[in-house]
Amino acid sequence: MNTKRKVTKIILYVLLTCLAVTMLVPFYWMVISSLKLNKDVFSIPMRWWPETMHPENYSVIWKKLPLVTFFKNTAKLTIITTIVQLCTSCFAAYGFTKCKFVGRDMIFLMYVTTIAVPWQVYMVPQFILVSKMGLNDTHVGLILMQAFSAFGVFLIRQFYISIPDELCEAARIDGLNEFGIFRKIVFPLGKPAMATLTIFTFTNVWNDFMGPLIYLKTKELKTVQLGIRMFISQYGADYAWIMAASVCSLIPIVIVFLSCQRFFVEGVAASGIKG
Amino acid sequence: MSSGKNSFLTSKQRRKIRNNMTGYAFILPNLIGYTIFVFIPVIFSFVLSVMSWDGSQRPMTFVGIENFVDIFGDKIFRGTLVHTVSYALMTVVPTLILALLLAVLLNNKIKGVAIFRTSFYFPYIASIVAVGAVWNMLFQPDFGPVNEILKFIGIKNPPRWVVDKDWAMVAVSIVSVWKYMGYYMIVYLAALQGISNSLYEAASIDGANGWQKLVYITVPMLTPTTFFVLIMLTIQCFKVFDLVYVMTGGGPGNATKTLVNYIYEKAFTSWEFGPASAGAIVLFAIVLAITLVQFSGEKKWSKDL
Amino acid sequence: MRKRQLTAAIMALACGALTACGGGGGTAPAENQGGTTQTTAAGSNDNSGSGQTAETAAPASGEKQVLSVTTWDNESSPQFQAVIDAYEEQNPNVEIKIIDTSADEYNNSLGISLSAAQPDPDVIWVKDMGSMLQMADKEQLMPIDDFIAKDNFDMSIYKGAAEQLMYNGKAYALPYRNDWYVLYYNKDLFDAAGVEYPSNDMTWEEYYDLAAKVTSGEGSSKVYGTHNHTWQALVTNWAVQDGKHTVVEKDYSFMKSWYEEALALQDAGYIQDYSTLKTANIHYSSVFKNQQCAMMPMGTWFIATMMQSQQDGETDFNWGVATIPHPADTEAGYTVGALTPIAISAFTDQPDLAWDFVKFASSEEAAEILAEQGVFTGIPSETALQTIASAELFPEGESNVEALSYVHYSFDRPLDPQIEEIRTVLNEVHEMIMIHSYSVDEGIQELTERVAEIKGWN
Repeated sequence: MNTKRKVTKIILYVLLTCLAVTMLVPFYWMVISSLKLNKDVFSIPMRWWPETMHPENYSVIWKKLPLVTFFKNTAKLTIITTIVQLCTSCFAAYGFTKCKFVGRDMIFLMYVTTIAVPWQVYMVPQFILVSKMGLNDTHVGLILMQAFSAFGVFLIRQFYISIPDELCEAARIDGLNEFGIFRKIVFPLGKPAMATLTIFTFTNVWNDFMGPLIYLKTKELKTVQLGIRMFISQYGADYAWIMAASVCSLIPIVIVFLSCQRFFVEGVAASGIKG
Repeated sequence: MSSGKNSFLTSKQRRKIRNNMTGYAFILPNLIGYTIFVFIPVIFSFVLSVMSWDGSQRPMTFVGIENFVDIFGDKIFRGTLVHTVSYALMTVVPTLILALLLAVLLNNKIKGVAIFRTSFYFPYIASIVAVGAVWNMLFQPDFGPVNEILKFIGIKNPPRWVVDKDWAMVAVSIVSVWKYMGYYMIVYLAALQGISNSLYEAASIDGANGWQKLVYITVPMLTPTTFFVLIMLTIQCFKVFDLVYVMTGGGPGNATKTLVNYIYEKAFTSWEFGPASAGAIVLFAIVLAITLVQFSGEKKWSKDL
Repeated sequence: MRKRQLTAAIMALACGALTACGGGGGTAPAENQGGTTQTTAAGSNDNSGSGQTAETAAPASGEKQVLSVTTWDNESSPQFQAVIDAYEEQNPNVEIKIIDTSADEYNNSLGISLSAAQPDPDVIWVKDMGSMLQMADKEQLMPIDDFIAKDNFDMSIYKGAAEQLMYNGKAYALPYRNDWYVLYYNKDLFDAAGVEYPSNDMTWEEYYDLAAKVTSGEGSSKVYGTHNHTWQALVTNWAVQDGKHTVVEKDYSFMKSWYEEALALQDAGYIQDYSTLKTANIHYSSVFKNQQCAMMPMGTWFIATMMQSQQDGETDFNWGVATIPHPADTEAGYTVGALTPIAISAFTDQPDLAWDFVKFASSEEAAEILAEQGVFTGIPSETALQTIASAELFPEGESNVEALSYVHYSFDRPLDPQIEEIRTVLNEVHEMIMIHSYSVDEGIQELTERVAEIKGWN
């Protein structure tokens, strides 16, 4: 029995390791190619370890590509969008769950019916609208169009519903006003839901490609994704440089991911179970 | 508040108004933004779909269902529907099975679960442009690593992947499965943790082996999750744009052009907002149909459980 | 009727370009004001100094005016930056904001900004004449007739090119650059293969043979004999090179042999596969710079790109320029080209400043600056040619200089109001033929039908 279990475990490890390696091979290939000469990237036979290292590729792309600007832009967009999204969603969720007012259910119904409408359906009129407001090719435009989501309100609302109303009533009797109740009681209790929404928005905005592609034109405003894309279309045959640029674009998200891994996993799990 | 005496409103009415005000104060920041940036555009996209407009200063004109007639008469548009569906078919099932498999494997009590989980989840976090660039090189038909390996294991004429009109969509699907299965694996993992241990213990007493436990306990218990994943994945497939855009640009020819690519090109390359919005409405109809299936399904599962 | 007019216009333009030596002399009124004038290239007798200053009357307060301009691939070519720098130097109170996009996304993203009717950009470098017509049609460009009249602006310095850019009797742009196709080659690769350099008098057949001879190697170190970028122009241009056809025709069968040749080159492995280039989005300049091809037919704008690349130390191989090969039934020196217009957005909030910049960018002074960078401008002149030929990084040897002149010049596309729509069809069919989705005959049939439909010829 014991040996059998050991064998199963070894098989499991071998299987998992193989799978993990397969999943990560593209990233490995990316890194080693970024250290080769352009002409050696596709050498035959394939080399899984470069003969000579060429880290100077990184200094080349560093000169050709304003990566710092791109990172700053992406970070700015991601952080502001996430904060606006979080604040307004929490407020609205509180309004929808703990306040009673005329038209509440009607308005909520409006949110629910549009939650399933993909952004791609209304991106064209939305773009026209944002442009008419003179916000095309600005970060403000891009932030505004992403910052208000029915999903965020819905997610937080589901969580706030589970907070017993008696808790709020008790606080009301103690003389707290509505904002006080929100700030002191409901908001702190809603942290897990906020973590989920944060992770969700963060990954979406950071990795968003189509939004910036449509909205951002000026180079100084572009995000990492667009910047790298621009680099690729200009230096298409400079394989090693492209890989070096790709590696650079991944570094910040890897750091964020590895340091907040727990939240990422819990976030996905929470939004998944909700159904 | 104490000066209520002079007011012609009763205190009850006053409280009601105050409650209304507070309620709206809370929802207003989101409501205003949502109305301007989501709700109005959604309505407007229906309006645009029956209009003809090139985005210039000239006014739009009403053309009725002509835009829909036009796009369904367009070989390229019909093509995008076919490509999108075939992408969905090639992506959904493999992603689902692999995600489930990974989750079941990881649900064992072994050391280093976190490392494995991270490596499976990592592609999901990685940006699509970088991922597209590296896979395009891996799939390079003449000397790319994928074909080198295929040749090594004895396949004489490996597919030419992204440059071959019959294989390009397969290549995109492979990358899609690779990228997204980690995400759904986590969803499954969470669901697996919800299955009570007593079920497995009872099965062990009855002498069931691992495989039987998987087939008779795990899979049935996961049905609601599977259904959810299936719906989410299908909707996601119909919305695909980025991956295709960075890997093939819709080519070769139009072989990998998807519905959203079509909308994007009609709107932002040819400036035909009418047909673009008509395409968007078709996308909406598809997603709506899938969502309705989901609702009826959910009712069923919630009755069952 | 229309066609004849056009041919005549082209001939006029071509003759103008050829006879442009000395003579002409800009009669543009000099409106130099006070201390902000600049010195014009001394000793050049056909330059009477069309000095420019910001006529928006330089506010002495020192507040900076910002003018935004759109460019493409600004990093890899000095063609825009040189002029921008010169203008900023002369007008310290003006700051130029560059909106740069990659060449293949340029028209697309410009269209997005213009459809928003925003005050930025002010000045637009138009990538091709077709998109200029399209923008003019949508009233996105500001007609410049009033400015021309007000300033008494002399259009004759362009030797007819400015008239080419008129549309519906209105002027929308000035010719900034004039480019035509030449053949670039990598001398080192020819030397290594022991093959003689391309000559200035080659038929296309001789060129195909040459491409076969210099193709060598395997795998990633393979050197292709020549390189066709993915543009439809790199096949259709040669079909219209003799000036007997344009790309808007009732019958496209004249293109058949050209497509067959292009496919033959591709199938024999003398040029890189179309679909590889297309899906991997490979820019032609990186192929030539990485020495992956021995020859490359490309526009004269690439001279500046190569010169900059040599200067930056990005490349250090020897390269050369030859006349583009010619069809068997024409003489050497027939070429195909296009103008690059510079225009003002209809939505600009500072039209005067924008006009001042446009005027400067297409002035003789700017032409001098650009010539030093290896760029041919809308002002054809012998001096400019000499400047380019004597530039330090321009390849040495008489044949390279010879390659810069032509005897006949056809536009790569006619000024047809529907040209952009037709080009979409040309591009789609081109792609289908090059990836073997259509046979050449199927492609030509579809082309004929769809263009007839657009033109309403049925």
